[in-house]
Amino acid sequence: MALPDRIDPRPPRRIYRWDLDKTYLQTDFDTLAQLVRTALQKASEKQAVPGAAALIRELRAQGDSQLCIISGSPTQMRAVLEEKLKLDGVEWDELVLKDNVRNLLRGRFRALRGQVGYKLPVLLESRAKAPVDSEEVLFGDDAEADAFIYSLYADLVAGRVDEAVLGRVLTAAQVYPDDRERIITAWRAVPRSDPVRRIFIHLDRLTPPARFGRYGPRVVPIFNYFQAALVLLADGQLNPGQVARVAVEMVQTAGHNLLTLSNSFQDLLRRGLPVQAVAAPLFQALEGAIQGREGVLQALRPLPDIVAAFTRRVAALGTTPPPPEAREIDYLSVLDDARPRTSKHRKAEER
Amino acid sequence: MPERATTIAFDVMGSDHGPAEIVRGAAQLSFESPGVHALLVGDAQQIDAALAETRHNAERISVQNAPEFVAMHEKPSEALGLKKDASVLVAARLVASGEADAVVSAGNTGAGVLACARTFQLIPGIRRAALATVYPTRTWHGTKQDPFSLILDVGATVDATADDLVAFAVMGSAYARIISRNPHPSVALLSNGTEAQKGPPRVVEAHAKLAQRQGLRFVGNVEGVDIPKGTADVICCDGFVGNVCLKLLEGVGETVVELANYAYASALRWKIGLAMLSNGLKQLKDVTDWQQYGGAPILGFDRVFIKAHGRSKARAIANAGKVAAKAVTSDLVHAIREGL
Repeated sequence: MALPDRIDPRPPRRIYRWDLDKTYLQTDFDTLAQLVRTALQKASEKQAVPGAAALIRELRAQGDSQLCIISGSPTQMRAVLEEKLKLDGVEWDELVLKDNVRNLLRGRFRALRGQVGYKLPVLLESRAKAPVDSEEVLFGDDAEADAFIYSLYADLVAGRVDEAVLGRVLTAAQVYPDDRERIITAWRAVPRSDPVRRIFIHLDRLTPPARFGRYGPRVVPIFNYFQAALVLLADGQLNPGQVARVAVEMVQTAGHNLLTLSNSFQDLLRRGLPVQAVAAPLFQALEGAIQGREGVLQALRPLPDIVAAFTRRVAALGTTPPPPEAREIDYLSVLDDARPRTSKHRKAEER
Repeated sequence: MPERATTIAFDVMGSDHGPAEIVRGAAQLSFESPGVHALLVGDAQQIDAALAETRHNAERISVQNAPEFVAMHEKPSEALGLKKDASVLVAARLVASGEADAVVSAGNTGAGVLACARTFQLIPGIRRAALATVYPTRTWHGTKQDPFSLILDVGATVDATADDLVAFAVMGSAYARIISRNPHPSVALLSNGTEAQKGPPRVVEAHAKLAQRQGLRFVGNVEGVDIPKGTADVICCDGFVGNVCLKLLEGVGETVVELANYAYASALRWKIGLAMLSNGLKQLKDVTDWQQYGGAPILGFDRVFIKAHGRSKARAIANAGKVAAKAVTSDLVHAIREGL
C-alpha cells in the first residue's frame, strides 16, 4: 500500500473565534482623532487586553484547535495586526478583516458601521468548512453587537432560529441584499449541530452584566480574561495551571493583584457561574507552581495569602446564587441590539 | 505582588434611598478611582441585583453578606444589641480586622457612632469622639477654594469638657488640613461672644488652653452669626450645641426654598423674577451642594468612618468614598495623633 504524500492535520475539535478591537486589543475609536491614531499605530504600540494573549496561547496549547479572528478593522491594517499577533506569540488560522474601501467605493455606507451583514456571513461560511462535531467558544465585546450576532449564529447553526425570524433580523439590521443572500446561502450549507459552548463578552465599556441576561447563560459577560479562564476551567477547556498563567500575565503586565483577581472570582460566583468547584484545583496548581515546578508562577506568591483571599470571597457571600436558567432567545425583542451603535447610543448606555 | 489599594467598606443598608443608591455610588467609584476598592456590606442578594443593573468595574468591588441592618427610626443601642451582624457593625469589624481601611455609611448616625465605639479604639489622648460635618458659607476656604467650613461636634458627645473641646479643635484642624487641603486652617470656639471670658466655664477654659497651644491657628471665639459667614475654617462646640446649630442651618435652608416656591406660585412677577435668577441660583446650588463633599467624619477613633447624609444619592456616596480614601492615604489618624 502506497503511503500518502502528505499528512493532513487533524481536524480541529475546538474552534475559538475572536473579535480584535476591544476584545483582543485595547482600542479607542469613538472619535475621529482616536480612529486616526489607531490607524497610524505601529504593531509595537498596540496593546492587547491584559490576559488575552495568554488565554489564546493556553487555548491553542490544548491542541486540535483553530483560532479564527473576525475583525471590523480595515483590510489595510492586515500587516500591522498580523505583526502584533506574532509579537504576542499568537498563532491564528483565519484572520478576516473588513474591506471598507470596497464598501465606500460601492456607496455602501451602511456597511461601513454595520456588523450583522459583515460578521454573520463570515461566521457561517467558516462554520460550513468546520467538522460537524467541533465545538466553539466565541469572544467579543460590548461595544457593538457581538452578543447578538454570536448568539444568532449559534442558534442558526443549531437550527433554533427559522428563516422568517432571520429575515426580520436582517431587515432590522439594514443588511444589503447581496450580504443577505450570502448569509442565507451559507446558513443552508452549514450542517445542523449545536457547537457553541460559550460566548464571552469583554465588558470594555463596563456595560451592566444584566443587559446580557436576555441572551441566556451561554453568554458570559467578563470584566477580564482571568474570569474567562476560570469559566473555561469549570467547562473543562483549560487546566488549573493554564488559568494560573493567564493570571500571571495579568499581574505582570497590567498591575492586577490578589484583590482584583479574587474580586473577579467572587463576581462570577455572585452571577451563579460554576467556578466555586474549580477553586481547590486552582490552588493546588498554584501551590505546585510556586514550589518550583513552574517558575513562571513566582509572581503570585505567597500561596497562603492567595488561598485566604479566595476563600474569604467565597465565605463572604454566605450562600452562592443558583446558576442562571437557560432560556430561548427572542431575537425579535432584541432587534435593537442588531443595529449599528452610534456615539449617541454609547453615551446613553454609559449614563 | 504590588499591593495594596485602599478598600472602603460601604454600609449598603439603612439609607433613606435604600441599598441600590449606595451600590450605584460605590459602582461609580469603581471606575472613577482606580486605587480604591469597594467592599459592599449588606444583603448580598439585594446588592447583586443592584450591581447587575449598574455600570461598574467588578475587579474593584467585592460583597460581604450582612442581611441585618439598623433602620433610621431604631434606637441604636437596642438595635445593635439585638442585631450582632448589622451591616454597619460588620463593616466596622472588617475595618478593625484590616480587611478594609475605612467605613462609609449613610445609615443611622447613632448606630454609626456606636459601631465605632464598640469596634475601634479611641486615639490616645482623646476621651470622646466627635461627629463633624461640613456646611456652606460665604467665604472660600483652602487651596480647593470651596465654600465649606467644618463644625464639630454635631451630636456624638453631648457633654464635652474643656479638654474634649481642645481635642475637637486638633481633630478638626487635621481634617481640614488633609481633606480640604487647607494648610493652616483657622480654628474657633463657638460661644455667645467673641471675648475670651464669654461662654460657659468649659468654653472659657478651652479658650485659655487653645490660646496657649502651639501648631494650631486658633482665632478665638465666634458667634452663631459667624457660622454661615465662614469666619473660621473649623468651629468647635459640644454635641448638643452643634446639633442644634446644624438643624437650624438645615431648617433655614429648607424654609428659604419653601418661601421661594411660595413666591413662585403666588405672583407672575415673582415667577418671572425667579426665572431670570434661575441660572445664578443653580450655580449657587452647585457651589454649595453638600453632595460634592459626600460625607463627614466621626473623629477620634483609630480608624476612619465617614458618615454620609441619609438622603445621599449615588454621587454623594461616591464622593464620600473618595473622602474616606483620602483620609486613609493621607493618614488622618496619624495627623490627629501628631496634633495631640
